[in-house]
Amino acid sequence: MTDSGEKSRDDHAAPAGVPGPELTRRGFFSKGSAAVAGGAALAAALSPLRDLTGDNVPSVEEFLQKHYKAMTPEEIQVVLKRIERKVEQRYEVDVSVQDVKPLDGVEFVYALNVSRCIGCRKCVHACVEENNHSRAPEIQYIRVLKMEKGSINVETSDHHYDPPLVPEHDSYYMPVQCHQCAKPPCVKVCPVEATWQEPDGVTVIDYDWCIGCRYCEAACPYWARRFNFADPEIPSGELNPDMTYLSNRPRSKGVMEKCTFCLQRTRQGRMPACVEVCPTGSRKFGNVLDPESEVAYILKHKRVFVFKEDVGTFPRFFYYFDERGSRYHEPLDVVDPGDSA
Amino acid sequence: MVKPASDSSTASAQVSPAGIWAIAIVFAALAGLLFANPWPYQRPYAGAGLVPEWATDTATVRSPKLKPEVTVAGYTYPCSACHKLFPSPSETDRALTQHGEISLEHGINNRCFNCHSRTSRDAFADHRGAAIPYDQPQLLCAKCHGLVFRDWTHGVHGRTNGYWDASRGPLDRQKCIRCHDPHAPAFAAMRPAPGPNTLRMGDTQPDTTHHPAVENPLLIHKQPAESVDPKPGEGH
Repeated sequence: MTDSGEKSRDDHAAPAGVPGPELTRRGFFSKGSAAVAGGAALAAALSPLRDLTGDNVPSVEEFLQKHYKAMTPEEIQVVLKRIERKVEQRYEVDVSVQDVKPLDGVEFVYALNVSRCIGCRKCVHACVEENNHSRAPEIQYIRVLKMEKGSINVETSDHHYDPPLVPEHDSYYMPVQCHQCAKPPCVKVCPVEATWQEPDGVTVIDYDWCIGCRYCEAACPYWARRFNFADPEIPSGELNPDMTYLSNRPRSKGVMEKCTFCLQRTRQGRMPACVEVCPTGSRKFGNVLDPESEVAYILKHKRVFVFKEDVGTFPRFFYYFDERGSRYHEPLDVVDPGDSA
Repeated sequence: MVKPASDSSTASAQVSPAGIWAIAIVFAALAGLLFANPWPYQRPYAGAGLVPEWATDTATVRSPKLKPEVTVAGYTYPCSACHKLFPSPSETDRALTQHGEISLEHGINNRCFNCHSRTSRDAFADHRGAAIPYDQPQLLCAKCHGLVFRDWTHGVHGRTNGYWDASRGPLDRQKCIRCHDPHAPAFAAMRPAPGPNTLRMGDTQPDTTHHPAVENPLLIHKQPAESVDPKPGEGH
């Protein structure tokens, strides 16, 4: 009934010159040009895809790559070779990407002497260079907080200080980086298990498994995780060629990264880059399971505290300070809180 | 049934050709605009900052030679070369005629012979006057700085570089005078390396509006008297 009705209307309408489904000359041009313009607009909207290079598009092997822990040693070797090739292609330098396993009977612990740190920020830049951080946008694992003497108040701390000389007499400095917690909240929240705690206590990320949801960044009470908002830029000349899969190989856009206690160095017996560069010797690192180690001595004999103890993360990063009797650089005339009140 | 159907079909067909042309032109203009890309994407972050060389230099602050030597006009002499010919008098208050470039800023330790041996100029002196060799300055410092020396022997004070794992390589414990000038031992102030310049590093000024320092009971003695307000909530 409807069909016949429309049919009869069309039959009557066409001779009357009313535009209908039939192709008229005017209809053809107007609709055709609209279709062409629409197609052009679609192409223009997709035009940012022109900027895609081979680096941005994963190959089939990359797409099918398994989780780090699910790979057999042979598969890992294949992946390492492929990453090496890709990094060499991109940065035009010879690199070696390895997979260094945790050592038996080793648990890494870090200790930092807040009464000796002068806030020179050399650790920040040594870390950037060692771990192949993106220079633009800038990514840094260590933040040095300038704190007012007499309190531990992070709310009023400042990490943008820039005096001509440090230390300033009314401040002390508290560098914060990943605390490698024994109960890491960042690991708990990861929806894809791309981050986990290694047997030596270091929390690592499989950069190829991370989906970039940034839950871990939100979960970390120490603000220790960093996100690659853009493709990292590293000058080829400054690339550290000694890389491992879980630590300092170049990251890509859209993944998280964090301090790994310089696994590429520390799992081969060396000190992290921040310890090596610290001019004051405020930074101490070692195996806490070895009773002869420096960090074991510090935990046993020095006055130690952890940052944000109340959040229950059990950090492996400890702050300590010296006895008043050995802090010769401080004036003896201490302000008495009772004076002005 | 028929009537509404025909109404809707004629409504869609009644768009005038001028309207269709207008849509087409707008689409084409948009397409051209997007292709021409007149406003290229601006990165919201700063360009790569240059890290100064000195900021990643792992050398110690000082590099003393740990030998009783003095270099004059390109020649190197042991201290005893001069002090054999000219034995020093016992310490007096008279002005020095030599070594005037040394200004002693070592707290209450303001006598040369507290550290330098009076009898053997190629050595330091311990409490009993016996010689301490120049390459063992920590034994000399330990005469007064017992607490620090104890920490240093355990690697807790001062720099340790190299390997934490003794089976892989040496642990290099730096001696006192690689960081401290014995004549002015306070650790020298230095220029800080450039600060962070990242998008996600927060405000450049610490936030004191929501958490005024006056709310911190530990800092109350640092506040001027008028800012210690009985009703701190009012000012904001």
